[in-house]
Amino acid sequence: MSVKPAPAPGAVRLDPLLLGAVLALVSLGLVMVYSASAVTAEQRYGDSFYFLKRQAVAAVLGLLAMAFLLKLGYRRLARLSYPLLLTAFVLLVLVLIPGIGVTAGGARRWIRLPLYSLQPAEFAKLAWVVYLSYSLAKKREKVATFSVGFLPHVLVGGVLILLCLQQPDFGSAVLLLTVMFLLLFAAGAKLSYLVGSVLLALPLGYHAIASSPYRMKRIQAFLDPWPHRHDLGYQVAESLMSIGSGGVTGLGLGDGRQKLFFLPEAHTDFIFSIIGEELGLIGVCVLVALYGVVLWRGVRASLRAPETFGSYLALGVTAVIGFQAVVNMSVAMGMLPTKGLTLPFVSYGGSSLTLLMAAAGVLLSVSATAEGPVRPRTSSVVPPRGVPA
Amino acid sequence: MRTQTHLRAAQVSVDAPGRWVRLRVAMLGAVLLCLLGVVLVRAVKLQVFERERLEGLARDQYVRHIEVPARRGDIFDRRGVPLAQSVDVDSVWVDPSLLTDVPRAARALAKRLSLDSGELEARLMRGKRFAWVKRQLKPREGDAVRALGLPGVGYTKEPRRFYPQRELAAHVLGMVGTDGHGLEGLERAFEDELSGESAQVPGLRDARGRKALVEGAADPEDHTGASVTLTLDRHIQYVAEKALAKAVHDARAVAGMVVVMDPATGEVLALANHPRFNPNLPGSATLAQMRNRAALDLYEPGSTMKPFVVAAALEAGAVGPDQTFDCEQGALRIGSHTINDSHAYGLLTPEGILRVSSNIGMTKVAQRLGRERLVAAFQSFGFGERSGLLLPGEGKGSLPFPRADVALATQSFGQGLTATVVQVTAAYAALANGGQLMRPFLVSRVVDPDGVVLLENKPTKVRQVVSQGTARRVVRMLESVVSKGGTAPRAAMPGYRVAGKTGTAQKVDTVAGGYSDKRIASFVGMVPAEAPRLVVHVVVDEPKTDVYGGLVAAPAVREIAEASLAYMGVPPSQAVSRGQVVAEVGREEPPPAAEPPRPAVVEVSVAGSPGGGAVRIPDLQGQVGREAVARLVGMELTPRLVGSGRVVTQRPAAGSVVEKGALVTLELASR
Repeated sequence: MSVKPAPAPGAVRLDPLLLGAVLALVSLGLVMVYSASAVTAEQRYGDSFYFLKRQAVAAVLGLLAMAFLLKLGYRRLARLSYPLLLTAFVLLVLVLIPGIGVTAGGARRWIRLPLYSLQPAEFAKLAWVVYLSYSLAKKREKVATFSVGFLPHVLVGGVLILLCLQQPDFGSAVLLLTVMFLLLFAAGAKLSYLVGSVLLALPLGYHAIASSPYRMKRIQAFLDPWPHRHDLGYQVAESLMSIGSGGVTGLGLGDGRQKLFFLPEAHTDFIFSIIGEELGLIGVCVLVALYGVVLWRGVRASLRAPETFGSYLALGVTAVIGFQAVVNMSVAMGMLPTKGLTLPFVSYGGSSLTLLMAAAGVLLSVSATAEGPVRPRTSSVVPPRGVPA
Repeated sequence: MRTQTHLRAAQVSVDAPGRWVRLRVAMLGAVLLCLLGVVLVRAVKLQVFERERLEGLARDQYVRHIEVPARRGDIFDRRGVPLAQSVDVDSVWVDPSLLTDVPRAARALAKRLSLDSGELEARLMRGKRFAWVKRQLKPREGDAVRALGLPGVGYTKEPRRFYPQRELAAHVLGMVGTDGHGLEGLERAFEDELSGESAQVPGLRDARGRKALVEGAADPEDHTGASVTLTLDRHIQYVAEKALAKAVHDARAVAGMVVVMDPATGEVLALANHPRFNPNLPGSATLAQMRNRAALDLYEPGSTMKPFVVAAALEAGAVGPDQTFDCEQGALRIGSHTINDSHAYGLLTPEGILRVSSNIGMTKVAQRLGRERLVAAFQSFGFGERSGLLLPGEGKGSLPFPRADVALATQSFGQGLTATVVQVTAAYAALANGGQLMRPFLVSRVVDPDGVVLLENKPTKVRQVVSQGTARRVVRMLESVVSKGGTAPRAAMPGYRVAGKTGTAQKVDTVAGGYSDKRIASFVGMVPAEAPRLVVHVVVDEPKTDVYGGLVAAPAVREIAEASLAYMGVPPSQAVSRGQVVAEVGREEPPPAAEPPRPAVVEVSVAGSPGGGAVRIPDLQGQVGREAVARLVGMELTPRLVGSGRVVTQRPAAGSVVEKGALVTLELASR
């Protein structure tokens, strides 16, 4: 009675659209990372391929992680949910310790390992989704209750969010919070709790922002970037100019001017600006369409999942990807204040890319296991209620 | 079995998501998709509707119109030797926003560039993204700044004016200020032609302010000023400056001037002032010191004016060549004034008057000529009108009508009227040129980089001042000046016949009015006397040792003439061809009045020196076409160009001797 992955290898039916969209995004990312970073890399490291090489390594690692999770099957994650959550806690605490956590750009976000910098917040996102899905699925109808269904998740989430804010990593904190609300909502938490907590959180959130002059200025710069275009609004103003210059057809791959040091972090958080500038509206449409496909296929997998754990898991992963994509692009186009969230699969960043590809593996696993009304016969999982035939 | 696995794996729940769950998931998915739609709408707004505005903002920051200053045109001597050139040197600027510690950077930069650190710091503080640190660095300074390795420091190539011959002809060339505009001399006179048009080139700029790309790099040829070719000859100029310096030094004089002219053409071969200055060192000379006094300033010439009076009187028939004048033993009263001679003389012919430079004799000649004809004669010799060297501020000279008897007397020996050194030289050139006054000129050609000739000066006859015969007779008379009994035996040269005239003028005391005891000593020589190729005029201002032109200026004229004649390959007069030339001159001596004026000098010189019209072809290999042409034109050769770029082959070969005006074919190729 060996324990085998749920779908037999031969029976794995990968969702070609989902896989294709993810791989297309990763490929687009590699191209754009090179285009956006070549000049900076040449300047800083004397090797224009510096960032491309590292991103390519992360992509290969991501592919391996994706294949591994696909092979493992998402159900195994249920048992791993607590260890994963615990690991996330430990990492989030470790990163705050000077000497272990590496500071860059005023935030302590990375743990430098040999050959690789780990960003615990990226790991925490995945662990948080797995834990929430598991916990919510386990509690079933009790989700609707306050003490069992609502409070514990809010408390666990609150600790994670506070740890993220210590770095500070406001973007990840907001993402964790959002995922929690989405999953609680999907699992049937009472709307009154959700709305009530939001109302309660508002003064706290305002305090968190207002107490930090840095965040306050960011908000001001967001509200009106042009007067601040030489200081805090600089990135956004430059980003808007980049995207605007692209027009419909773009300036052509590699011909963007903003990456000539006008736009800091052009290859990480603001890679969308370079896409907009070099590939134009056409490129932006393709990009949005790819995320649309991921969203569609992710929600489809969630809807067709044979049990609630898979359903929540698929929804959570889809939300992480979709939410980050929307927020990142909105920031680049001046619709949201700067957050520090990457453009999923595209932005430069090893931890982000590897873990997001791992998450895509989970999503693919759920979709491959999907028990849909369309093809019940090919389903390799148990029917609802799971009673042996 | 499979079921069991699933039960174990998904021990949490085997519930299929309920309908409500599905509904909520679908709702959330829809919300996310809507948000993506919002993103897309925003992208359309930015990239379609706001494109122009944003693109303009972006262009403003990375496209900078970089002004590419035109390369100032070069100035060449008559043989194409560069006298003024433009070379590219570094200018250093800084983007202060990239400096971490402005005061420290300012101190470091100031130390290496010998600037005031406080002032530099203030300048860096003011500049937001750009501030000049220092323009037109010396190479050593550039290296020192590079060694600092400061961030935000940039370099721009700027053309700097360079005078490869240093002090040579500095007064003629003038000088260029740091802003690239001519301050004095030809640099100022030909400012528009030399400077060319600077171009606005759109260039990409990165955030650190470096010029990243220049779209369609400007062809430097398009932005080069015109080149100016002078009539000056570097060698003669050098000899003249050296001799002048020696004369001024020996006489402990305050200043000196020299003009060397080709009488047949009016070309100024040398034009110099002393003291000299080095135009490569801005600030080394005041504007007054940079003034080309020989061409611009007026002085009272003194006795050097006498031959023109004699020539006019002979031409008018007012006096005869053998007529004698009583020189009153050295003192002649005119009204309340007394005219003195340096020595007491009795009866003198016009030739004698010129030989000993008798003021009393001259007064009597002038009295015969009369006031109107005297003034007319001076005017005819070119006095009182601008020479037309094209230099800014050139003096015209004044010829006040000599109403008083004493004024007629003093004007006859060159006091009470003013002229420039160039004017006097040109008037002598007219005597040397058979009475034909040529317009003096200094600039022979101004050619823009495309080869379009903007200005070309050719020898121009102004007028026949006196007949050829009269002119020759006066020149013959002036040969006696350098003889034993003359005023300037020191100007005599072995091998060449020399005609000339001394001048020792009193300087006007500008404070007291009237004349001071300061003198201007001068000598004008014409060599060889039988067919002058050169007129050399040396003026020494306020000599302290001796005051007489024959002692102070004549040796310098001799030195210049000897070196120049040898350089020009003019054969000696006596040993070789005295008889021939005398015969030749003798043949033309009786002036046939009907005979049209002919450029006798050229004729004679060709006859006398077969090599005179020949030149040696220079080696032009590797030269830029434009420069090669300038050199050939300067040597009076006719260039013919095949192709473009640099000279690859030339025909006839370098070193071969050809007649002036001969065709030289240059084959050009790029690289």
